[in-house]
Amino acid sequence: MSEPNAPQVPEVPEAPAGPYIYDYKAAPNRQIAMPKTVPLPSRRTYLAEQKAAAEADEAKWQKTLADYETAKAKAEAEGKDAPKAPVRPVPRKDDNDLKTPFPEDAKDADLLKLQVLLGDKVEEVFEQAGELVCQVKKEAILEALALCRDEAALKYEMLADQTGTHYPAAKDFAFSVVYHLTSISRRRRLRLRILVPEGFVPESACPLYPSANWMEREIYDMLGIRFANHPDMTRILCPEDWEGYALRKDYPTVGWGQRDISFREDRGGMLERIALQKAGQLGINLKQPKAD
Amino acid sequence: MFKNEEMEINLGPQHPSTHGVLRVKLRLDGETITHCQPIIGYLHRGVEKICENQSFFQGQVWTDRMDYCSAVANNLGWAEANEKLFGITVPRRAQYIRTLLNEFNRIASHLIWLGTHAMDIGALTVFLYAFREREDVLDINEAFCGSRLTTTAFRIGGLREDLPPGFDKMVNKFLAKFSSCLEEYENLLTENRIWKKRTIGVAKLNAEDAIALGVTGPMLRAAGVAYDIRKAFPYAAYAEMDFEVPTRTEADTYARYLVRMAEMRQSARIIQQCMDGMPEGPVMAKLPKIMRSEVNEVYHATESPKGEIGYYLVGEKGSLNPYRFHVRAPGFINLQSLPKMAEGGLIADCVAAIGSLDIVLGEIDR
Repeated sequence: MSEPNAPQVPEVPEAPAGPYIYDYKAAPNRQIAMPKTVPLPSRRTYLAEQKAAAEADEAKWQKTLADYETAKAKAEAEGKDAPKAPVRPVPRKDDNDLKTPFPEDAKDADLLKLQVLLGDKVEEVFEQAGELVCQVKKEAILEALALCRDEAALKYEMLADQTGTHYPAAKDFAFSVVYHLTSISRRRRLRLRILVPEGFVPESACPLYPSANWMEREIYDMLGIRFANHPDMTRILCPEDWEGYALRKDYPTVGWGQRDISFREDRGGMLERIALQKAGQLGINLKQPKAD
Repeated sequence: MFKNEEMEINLGPQHPSTHGVLRVKLRLDGETITHCQPIIGYLHRGVEKICENQSFFQGQVWTDRMDYCSAVANNLGWAEANEKLFGITVPRRAQYIRTLLNEFNRIASHLIWLGTHAMDIGALTVFLYAFREREDVLDINEAFCGSRLTTTAFRIGGLREDLPPGFDKMVNKFLAKFSSCLEEYENLLTENRIWKKRTIGVAKLNAEDAIALGVTGPMLRAAGVAYDIRKAFPYAAYAEMDFEVPTRTEADTYARYLVRMAEMRQSARIIQQCMDGMPEGPVMAKLPKIMRSEVNEVYHATESPKGEIGYYLVGEKGSLNPYRFHVRAPGFINLQSLPKMAEGGLIADCVAAIGSLDIVLGEIDR
């Protein structure tokens, strides 16, 4: 039998299946809001979404028209005045200096060349915000990188950046790994992208671009993607015995040892006092010293 | 006792040339380095994770604190990456002011590099002189945005405020004396016999290796590659500026010193052009009160004093915060070249190599 004044225990979510153990019950404010969408730019997805939105809009308008017809017929039968005819809304005029770039068809010669040379290994090519994007099959990344570096018409000499993103809401993959190539002689940039599932080991870019060494170590440290044929696949930013991968979306933002309360809201110092008490329970001496 | 035996020693993290947390594991044969492994330390603050959980606007103060010696340059890259993500057109006056402050920041950053690098090698006077001029640049920062080091100078879409009254007087006063200050440093170092012996032919990194290792900035230009993002992919108002990209072909520590000195002269030239051609008009674009991103991903790179600083942002539909925020830190990539430069040299040359990299560990670990 429960007491009437028993405090409500806040509902805590199930711990996500991660490589590390995380005690949610001990710190309910360290809960994680997992992303529900997969913000992976793609021309194909963009077009499908636009089409679906247009169809939904049209269906809504047709329904409004049908409703109007029934209302009109009803009013005529009852001998009342006919209702006002509906007006299709026009989009509001926007005076802001803000035009979000959307993915466009690939027109750039580099992308078309890559598409021809790689054939069916290319999953998608498009341009967005003036940037060239080429998504290739995950097994063919080394071949694509070699082509970009050695092909006379492409000549991307430098791997400027390599990083990954975690997409826990996606079905067929868990991560994207992006390679930002720079051609110094031709003054161009290109983004190569692969989508990898959990546990997949992509080929390391180190044999082609030695600069990938530390960047891949960082990806491993932060996201937990291992790379095959990497000379030294160890952690780089965190200690060797660190639990979990910090940039995964299921990793808590508030880490161990961080305070559980917001001092910004604490004008009267009440929360600080509670924190000091808690710290005392943990055996840390943060209490005010006393004269005796 | 140590005859025919290799010895392993740690250079840093307590050595003054290693900036706090950098540890370099050296294996020595006599005094020659046979193996060098930099370990960048565990300063990691998780700036990327924090910025992913804050709004686009709040990310700016974190970029200040990565490379605190070139906060303005970091702000510029961040602001432009966001503007690319949202498709914002920035007013021309704001672009000019950004260019102006970015060049001042380059001077400040190179001055602190010059001072500490010279001090690493053993020349203390230059350190004191360089800080004297750096103070003037920080005064200009303070006049513009109220803070000296972590400036938070720009906003997405432009600037928070226009230039303060009397700003041009401050800038002109600085420019009038700056070239004579540079001459003073060069008198102390350029023809100095000890300086030349410690730097010429030391820590060589040729252009091929530099490009393969992703090294950018003055390090790459000292190897003879005229790659400057201000020219190659112009941003802010650099397309309208008339300046040169100084290069050297020796690819050693001395060449890097000369390239940075020449860059400071070019920066002063750009500042003069900005002041002369400053257009009138607003300094902020028209933006909605709440900006929600669409699905988009951008990589925007700018030329920070240390090299290419790139921001990779992924926007989620209807979201107020970036889904992914990644920084391509120039120091992180440049530091990879340390084994290439140090192996085969002496321990004292390794100190010169670390100095010529111009690293800030806050940026390397983020």
